[in-house]
Amino acid sequence: MAIFEWEEVAIEVDEDGFMQEPDEWSERVALALASTEGVEELTDEHWHLVHYLREYYQKFGIAPMIRKLCKESGFPLKKVYELFPSGPAKGACKVAGLAKPTGCV
Amino acid sequence: MEQRLKMKNNSIKLKDISKRSKQLVQLDVKDFPKLPYPYDDWEEPQIKELPEKKRNEFDCSLDGILNPPIPIPETEEEKEKLVAQFISGLQKILSKENNWPFLKPLMLSLDNCVKCNTCSEACPAFQESGCNEIYRPLFRSDIFRRIINKYIKPGGKLTAKFTGADIDLTWETVSRLAQLAYRCTLCRRCAQTCPMGVDNGLISREIRKVFSQEMGISPPELHRDGTIKQLQTGSSTGISPLALLDMLEFMEEDITDRTGINIKIPFDKAGADILLIHNAGEFLSWPENIEAFAILFEIAGVSWTLSSELVGYDSVNYGLFYDDVQLAKVTLKHAECAKKLGVKKVVIGECGHAHKAAMAIGDRVWLAESNIHRESCMATMEDLIINEKVMVDPSRNDFPVTMHDPCNMTRSMGIIEPQRRIIRKICPQFREMTPHGVNNYCCGGGSGFAIMQSHNFPDWRSSLAGRRKFRQVLEAFNKEELDPSVNKYLCAPCSNCKGQIRDMLNYYGAWERCHILYGGLVELIVNCMTDVREGFIEWDDFH
Repeated sequence: MAIFEWEEVAIEVDEDGFMQEPDEWSERVALALASTEGVEELTDEHWHLVHYLREYYQKFGIAPMIRKLCKESGFPLKKVYELFPSGPAKGACKVAGLAKPTGCV
Repeated sequence: MEQRLKMKNNSIKLKDISKRSKQLVQLDVKDFPKLPYPYDDWEEPQIKELPEKKRNEFDCSLDGILNPPIPIPETEEEKEKLVAQFISGLQKILSKENNWPFLKPLMLSLDNCVKCNTCSEACPAFQESGCNEIYRPLFRSDIFRRIINKYIKPGGKLTAKFTGADIDLTWETVSRLAQLAYRCTLCRRCAQTCPMGVDNGLISREIRKVFSQEMGISPPELHRDGTIKQLQTGSSTGISPLALLDMLEFMEEDITDRTGINIKIPFDKAGADILLIHNAGEFLSWPENIEAFAILFEIAGVSWTLSSELVGYDSVNYGLFYDDVQLAKVTLKHAECAKKLGVKKVVIGECGHAHKAAMAIGDRVWLAESNIHRESCMATMEDLIINEKVMVDPSRNDFPVTMHDPCNMTRSMGIIEPQRRIIRKICPQFREMTPHGVNNYCCGGGSGFAIMQSHNFPDWRSSLAGRRKFRQVLEAFNKEELDPSVNKYLCAPCSNCKGQIRDMLNYYGAWERCHILYGGLVELIVNCMTDVREGFIEWDDFH
């Protein structure tokens, strides 16, 4: 497994840059991961999504349905793509420290 | 340089598979046949090159594409060990005790090829690569055949010298053969057309099996994050029963918001007539498909249920693509869930490979009292629509619609007409792709390719494996219809195909350029049901 380093942050990531140990996530880690996604700065809107994803993940051990994410965050999918250009799964979930989505998703 | 590469690609010989070269073939999108309007002037991007670091870590010496991830052995001993394991795996798949399910068709396919190359004409990957030798169905099969003749058959080494069937079984050969097995989508169009009944798709699949069962080599998406995860957590997506219930609750609210109808989605209802099993990817990525089934079944008064048992809510069975042991474990779990609920039949949702795994291959393991009737959702829906158990207003679907045929459902199982009788009734502007039905072309995501998202493999499957399908989709519409001002629908009744089609439409920017929306079949039904508010299909949010 590769170690990804950014400033003082050093985390284990998989081949696509997703965190291997989601419990080690912190806001600093989010900033580090965002830098790999071409997201320079995390605005309030970014944090709103990231925190929603984290809370859901901690409760259910999985990312929420994309439709649920949009509905409950109040952001249409287009907006999610504006905030995280790689999209909800590859972008937003990665920054929120979730593991890579698996299965036919 | 370009010309030289092209010549090099076309002059590749079987023996080159054992060469100690860095890479056998360099792909160039300029070699791929041009796409039709409106992509005739499209500046096509090259398939991404792998970073040097990855190339040093994993073997991608076939075509520079990384899949499956095979770490490059560091010592000669490691290399020899892998070759020995491979030979041991070959011996097993050629013995009755170890390979009773597939030995017979495998032997027929190994023994009967007359090298007529009809398969090459039928293979979309070979054709759309600009006829690159390494993707020729015979290239892979013949290397495999020659290895068996030389290394497994008695006296083979001696005969090989005289017959010219001399392939050296080096580490390079073994590793490249694994890569070759993952450049075939197992669509079996070659098997359909072969005058001798040779199944090159099966050969690819049996090669994968040797690698998985004997050597522990497989794409992590199929094994570690696929069947292993499914058996542990309940679903390859990681959806636990607890998460499932949260999703069902959300979908009930969502149905009310979309349609004004209040529905309770039944789960674990013992004694229901039907257990409906979806591909769990639908829950996360295409819940409208699951919602539409619930709406259709409830309005039609069907006695049905979902299961919240581990594995009972995820129809996928990736074992079909690479490993018999995993295939059997998963299908037995499905049978167990059905038996526990005491349902009359199991209906498989819109997922092609789940059809084949549970209905065709699974038939050999759903034995005795577990042998519960299984049915394709295409047949279930056909009954509801054709026998007017729900009322429809086709004018609500008055937009151009074409339909993709999932290979496992159509070519492998012959389920062709039920979905067509439905779509002809409810879509006034339906048009077929050419060809279709059993002669269809794979979406390019077959055999689990659609879920393989790492490194440069997604580029390969969008630009090469799925190229023929994308061509077919464009050709199904006329020039005026391809204009983005016209909404059009690509019906793909299979989760795996939908994943590939989504990625491919994104790769080509086809939503922006042509406004092609993709989705399942049941959504089209619900979109025109008179008991449901208009506008179930949402055109403004591509996902």
